[in-house]
Amino acid sequence: MTETPTDDGERAANDDHGAPGDRPDAAAPTDRPSVLVPLEVLKGASLPNGTPELLANAHVVLLGYHVIPEQTAAEQAREQFGETGMAKLDEFADAFAAAGADVETRLVFTHDEATTIDRLIYEHDCLAVLVPNGVAQVESVLFPLRGTVGVERNSRLVAGLFADTDVDVTLYHALGADESPEDGASFAADVAAALAERGIAEDRIDTVVEDATVPVDAIADRAASYDVVVMGETDPSVTTFVFGMPSAQVAERFLGPVLVVQRARPEE
Amino acid sequence: MDDSDPTATPDPPSAPDPDPGPPGGDAETLAAAVDADTGAGELERTIGLVGGLAIGVGTMVGAGIFVFPGLAAANAGPAASLSFAIGAVIALLVALPASELATAMPRSGGGYFFISRGLGTAAGAVVGLGLWLGLVFASAFYLVGLGSYAGQVFLEAGIALPVDPAVPLGVAFGVGLTVLSLFGTENTAALQNGIVVLLLVILTVFLSYGSLDALGVFGVQSTPERFFPPGGALPVLQTAALVFTSYLGFAQVATVAGDIREPSRNLPLAMVGSVLIVGVLYVVTIFVATSAFGSARLGEFGETAMVEVARSFVGLPGALAIVFAGLLATFSSANASILSASRAVYAVSRDGILPAAASRLNLAYGTPHVALGLAGGPIVVLAATGRVALLAEVASFLHLVMYGLICVALIRLRRERPAWYDPSFRCPAGVAVAGVGGLASFALIAFMQPASIGVGAAVMLAAYGWYRHYATDIELAGDF
Repeated sequence: MTETPTDDGERAANDDHGAPGDRPDAAAPTDRPSVLVPLEVLKGASLPNGTPELLANAHVVLLGYHVIPEQTAAEQAREQFGETGMAKLDEFADAFAAAGADVETRLVFTHDEATTIDRLIYEHDCLAVLVPNGVAQVESVLFPLRGTVGVERNSRLVAGLFADTDVDVTLYHALGADESPEDGASFAADVAAALAERGIAEDRIDTVVEDATVPVDAIADRAASYDVVVMGETDPSVTTFVFGMPSAQVAERFLGPVLVVQRARPEE
Repeated sequence: MDDSDPTATPDPPSAPDPDPGPPGGDAETLAAAVDADTGAGELERTIGLVGGLAIGVGTMVGAGIFVFPGLAAANAGPAASLSFAIGAVIALLVALPASELATAMPRSGGGYFFISRGLGTAAGAVVGLGLWLGLVFASAFYLVGLGSYAGQVFLEAGIALPVDPAVPLGVAFGVGLTVLSLFGTENTAALQNGIVVLLLVILTVFLSYGSLDALGVFGVQSTPERFFPPGGALPVLQTAALVFTSYLGFAQVATVAGDIREPSRNLPLAMVGSVLIVGVLYVVTIFVATSAFGSARLGEFGETAMVEVARSFVGLPGALAIVFAGLLATFSSANASILSASRAVYAVSRDGILPAAASRLNLAYGTPHVALGLAGGPIVVLAATGRVALLAEVASFLHLVMYGLICVALIRLRRERPAWYDPSFRCPAGVAVAGVGGLASFALIAFMQPASIGVGAAVMLAAYGWYRHYATDIELAGDF
């Protein structure tokens, strides 16, 4: 476990690289990836099993939120539940810190959780959001690739979290309609090489390239034999409107933790 | 708990700038979007400009268009449109100072908050308790209106009822809405926005058609009635006092100020904008209605006069459309007022003017069940009286007192310039506008029926008595 005690440098460091996030500095592989962990703190009784261990190498932004109905003033809820929420959040933060992560906590009372999660991703420049589900032990990660866009960020997250561990990483690539198996294999090999360069031992990386009619189904089916899934956020399109984000579909069927890598956010 | 200023907190990321300087760029937008964390969590502001406008318009439009035209025309003839215009001007004169205060104190509680902080606890207690009861009267009024439209549904369906169903139905809706708001429906805001948009569409079509018809485009020009009623200006002003209930909603925008995104921009726009929108609709509505029928005839139709106006234009489909719109509008007004009344209870109870139990939230549903009960109970009782004009005037009375004091608070804060007073929107010609607005608000009260003035004054006295009995040791002036 690398000890990275400087948690105050994190924001400044990210803000200083002039270019807005989309060209993140490759020269900082030891930088802890920041991961947002949203927990409905007053409803859920406890932290899902194994989450602190999963994120031991991350910079955890622990978001405790409480959704209040429209007819209640947010202030009113904070006044009544704020202290309880804070106490619970601190308890969770201690668990993360004990596992080795650095932790920041935020407690938010909101009428709309999506707005809140979105804002915090932006404010803390989070690389990924955890869909918090329990996991007994983290030994294998499924890393589905979805085209070249954003793959750099996904790799940065996987390497940041698992480089110093003995977790096995499986790269999974479903071939596109007009993609030959050779192209697919070479794409996956490039990503594997990038992961190796970031410190994941080559013998721990496995690649699977296959034809899949519905990639989301294939990923969800395959996920069952892994402990964690790391996948990218997709641009909203008509299909995602109808069926929800692929990452959400996978999370729903997989029942284990899913790390959803966020697109680089344009600077305002 | 007070949220004095962000410098006291160690951890929020806005820490590098300890001075909350007014013209800050990023720091200000960040502060505007999110309240600083005071160690007990931060608040997400989720209502945008459209949501704010929908609260204002949704609360107001039910009364002015779907309940009052008949009553107003009976009293003031075609000049009732002037009465509505007078109301709009007074509302605007108050909305501008209220916007300034709201951007200086973007907290839930609205007028009560400004007055208790600007003028002290005694005025605050009277206004706070008065606002709660004022909204109770307003909700009861809307419920009777809603009951009238629900009764009209039976009429249109050809079902004869032995008694006038307006009051019993209004009471039933009152119970239903209170229960509904107790058990947390999370999509009320989205629903409200949808209802308001739909209403505006129906009204725009209806009023455009009606105006063209009144101007003689579709045939015979209607015989112009004498504009002023026999009594001259007096009935017009009395009617203005009666129908002022149609303009109470803009203050409801301020009661959710704590939840509004970018309050310095969205609060003034939503408050002033919603008054302008409904003001224009009301004036046109009276013009159309009095062109379709004589004022006396309109008066006979009572609360659902607009249904007959629509029927005279396009027959049954028009009548049905207006019945439907009237149901939506009075429903949304009643619902918004019940919620606002419960927020008013919360605001005074947070400050200790009512026992803290009044603002308890139910953890399972996240709703303030005691406050909702304190709103819903009296609303149902008042709705059962069925006295539309009295309910409306008492609601207006209690709000006008608050509006007048809002103007006084603005003038006093502008004079004294306390350090915490730093509005991001400044009302143009603030002191003059507030002066005229305050005088006009108090003056309008004088034109109400004696009974309404009596009930209103009794409520205020009772509120003051409660303050003397329960809350004399609370100091709220300038307390954040």
